[in-house]
Amino acid sequence: MKSNMPVADEIQSSWADEVEIDQGALPPPSEVVENGLKIVTEYKYDNDNKKVKIVRTYKIEKRVVSKDIAKRKTWSKFGDSANDKPGPNPATTNVAEDVYMQFITSKEESQRPDDGELDGLKQQSSSVIFKCRTCQGDHWTTSCPFKHTQMAQTKANEAAKAAGIDSKATPTNKYVAPYLRDGGAGRGTGREPPGARDVAAIRISNLSNFAVEADLDDLVKGFGPVQKLYLAKEKSTGHCKGFAYVHFKFRADAAKAIQTLNGHGYDHLILNVEWSKPPQNN
Amino acid sequence: MKPLMLQGHERAITQIKYNREGDLLFSAAKDSKPNVWWSLNGERLGTFNGHGGVVWCLDVDWQTINLITGGGDSSCRLWDLETGKNIATIKTNSSVRTCNFSYSAYQAAYTTDKAMGRPCEVSVIDTRTIDDSISTQTPILKWEITDTKVTSMVWGILDETLITGHEGGDLIQWDLRTGKKIQSIKEHTHQIHDMQLSRDGTMFITASKDQTAKLFDTSSLELLKEYKTERPVNSAALSPILDHVVLGGGQDAMEVTTTSTRQGKFDARFFHLVFEEEFGRIKGHFGPINSLAFHPDGKSYASGGEDGYVRVQSFDQSYFDYTFDYNRD
Repeated sequence: MKSNMPVADEIQSSWADEVEIDQGALPPPSEVVENGLKIVTEYKYDNDNKKVKIVRTYKIEKRVVSKDIAKRKTWSKFGDSANDKPGPNPATTNVAEDVYMQFITSKEESQRPDDGELDGLKQQSSSVIFKCRTCQGDHWTTSCPFKHTQMAQTKANEAAKAAGIDSKATPTNKYVAPYLRDGGAGRGTGREPPGARDVAAIRISNLSNFAVEADLDDLVKGFGPVQKLYLAKEKSTGHCKGFAYVHFKFRADAAKAIQTLNGHGYDHLILNVEWSKPPQNN
Repeated sequence: MKPLMLQGHERAITQIKYNREGDLLFSAAKDSKPNVWWSLNGERLGTFNGHGGVVWCLDVDWQTINLITGGGDSSCRLWDLETGKNIATIKTNSSVRTCNFSYSAYQAAYTTDKAMGRPCEVSVIDTRTIDDSISTQTPILKWEITDTKVTSMVWGILDETLITGHEGGDLIQWDLRTGKKIQSIKEHTHQIHDMQLSRDGTMFITASKDQTAKLFDTSSLELLKEYKTERPVNSAALSPILDHVVLGGGQDAMEVTTTSTRQGKFDARFFHLVFEEEFGRIKGHFGPINSLAFHPDGKSYASGGEDGYVRVQSFDQSYFDYTFDYNRD
């Protein structure tokens, strides 16, 4: 038995649009059936009050189905669909984007990156995701046991560095900037000006405005004997200008200080420590 | 193929089912109006208005004349499919969790939740003549289940037994002549959310929160196959034409907001029936899949999700061309 599919015979605009049609502003909807295709064109205003033309193309299919199914095709709609026109109502029925089946083999299954990533995340969240900036331990920086001891801090840092170098020994695929290679040892020294080899002076910047010489002394005395200490000050206020120079007695101490203090948080600021540049013709 | 998206529900889908010929697709959701759709073009035939709350379950008889639904408003309702009229309403003591017509549709069974001081109950009613008298009819058989509540149910072969899946993972086979337990097994460790029969009714597949789906023999309850995933399985269906199983699930609804769609693993997963190995997946939903159904012709399937959408997906030719590689040794 032949049955006509219940495709849309007529799609009319909703009552809201009909009001607008009454105003004569919009062309009437049209419907063309040709070559087994039905093209329904309607016009309406969009949210920006612009005229929009909507063209829907339906394919009319004829299918041979069993008697029971054909009979059910003649049923009229009921419930909330009672007032729907024949054919799918765009409010309830839509065609979604193409979705294809992804075929997988059991081998791929065991090493899916998807899962690997997930597991990595899981592990991380189950262990510790925060790290002390001072000693790299698994506690917050503010509750670090080495918080107030500069010497201990240095030691902790060295320990962490050693551990860092060990872990670096295992080859990784990640790109490492040249000055960060070898566990970041070249961090300060890499930028060392060639002419300054014999100078053990460092420049500390991004200091707090309220820093005084005593603070600076506290900060650096753990690294070794200091020859000279200069804290730049505003003449009028006597406040710190934000940077200071420290001359160590030994170059090795200075290098250690740069390694330790560069990036170190002090008085809510992150210190920037580098080799002092030689004075330029002044 | 482009799937059809059916947006007839305002809340999460609870169960979807095709009728025997597959021209109609029924969907129930946590809103109060079950829907019926023409499966071919996704046109909505109608809604069944009358329930006062969640509709947990539905079933259609083999002739597509009546629909039975059960819901959280403590009622089990029978509907006329041609007109969408509510023929009879059976008042129950607590919400109705599962309801099924027997194959012949001479009887129907429904189970109620253990709630409001009432135990979980299984009731079997006579549905040979469906009219208003069913509302007041006393069930022909009724028994209480004291330990764990029923969360899914299927009829056994020749309508002689009833198989219930329980919250604790038990499967119990009941003799319908006496209402006595024939046998009970516990192969799952968590709730059995869904059970679906194979085309000929000799096997059925269970979907459980313990992240597995299992295939059982309907008469002996012998465990035949097991399909393992890494997420709760909410629904599983057997292909009527191929040795394929589709599993749907995902994280619990309450945990969904903490995961992205990709992590949540909301795709439908296809396993080989015999080799128990996954061979494909289809994405689509952005919430867990709550219910799955194969079209009786095996050329498409439908899924209903926690996101409130029903998606009808026809298979591409590549699905039918796919062969499972295995060693014949």
